[in-house]
Amino acid sequence: MPDFFTSIGTLLDGSFLQSGALWALSTIPGFPPIIQTVHILGIAVVMGSVVLLDLRILGLAVPSQKISEMTNRLMPWLWWALASNLISGAFFLFGRPLRYFNNPVFGWKVSFLIPAVLLTLFFHVMSKRQESYWESSSKRLWSARGIALLSIFLWIMVAMAGRWIAYAEYIYYPA
Amino acid sequence: MGFLTSPKWIDVENWPISWEIGGTSWFPFLESIHVIAAAFVVGSILMVDLRLLGIAAVKYSISTLSKELVPWTWGAFVIATITGLGMFITRAASHVVNPAFQWKIALLALAGINMAYFHFRVYKNIAQWDDAAPTPIQLKIVGSLSLLLWSGVMLAGRWIGHII
Repeated sequence: MPDFFTSIGTLLDGSFLQSGALWALSTIPGFPPIIQTVHILGIAVVMGSVVLLDLRILGLAVPSQKISEMTNRLMPWLWWALASNLISGAFFLFGRPLRYFNNPVFGWKVSFLIPAVLLTLFFHVMSKRQESYWESSSKRLWSARGIALLSIFLWIMVAMAGRWIAYAEYIYYPA
Repeated sequence: MGFLTSPKWIDVENWPISWEIGGTSWFPFLESIHVIAAAFVVGSILMVDLRLLGIAAVKYSISTLSKELVPWTWGAFVIATITGLGMFITRAASHVVNPAFQWKIALLALAGINMAYFHFRVYKNIAQWDDAAPTPIQLKIVGSLSLLLWSGVMLAGRWIGHII
């Protein structure tokens, strides 16, 4: 784990953010599973927006929907879902910062998440700049297909790594 | 001896495959696939539900939208069911008496009934509302119920791990 990464955990540990998150998680009845469900609903939106768009670009799903139209229609849903997941995830992150920022699997999740977000943002911005940008030439369409394949891989790995964080904890924190 | 407290569930836990899954990294592997597949099921249903509510994808007819998404929803559902069963057999006896698990199964059944009602009853009058942008109240009810029930399935499913 890089030092700057683990030091975020040290910084958060013992802060008011931690006490606030721990208060919410332990006081509000059913709060942990409810927040986790909100987090998974966000992942559902990721699957129903960017992953579905990727499948469309690869020619595997929803043939009657147009790529540019789908991008403009679905991307706002994705960004709102990611914002929501940042908040729902923060409760757990702030609650036990050392466990996350020292956990290599959380490190992997972040390392998949950042390129996934940047790649999706790039795709969305280019599509906004010019109408039907990704469909305007066969070269661009092939680039879009490459991006789609990479994007599916990255988003699936984000979700996968997310689920493995809890299992890695048993390895790195056997107590 | 009731169905839920039958010792048969313990036998299920003792199948060699149950031990294999429960005692290795097969379990977290199945669980992560389960979450991704379930998210895909709900994500694709969500799109149809929002269309039924007249909130999203109103440019597309309801029949086209659902027809093109249904194979993906079912494919993901099959994967979620297989991975779910794989996890279930490792702790079968505890799961069947776990209230969160019982809720999950009940909500799944209700979500299934809601879908069947949509496909076999509401669908008969498709010509009247297929392209409707403000959708009729009947579709809005089906769509909202679906959203609520599937979110409930997720919540109950996530809650299983907090009880067991």
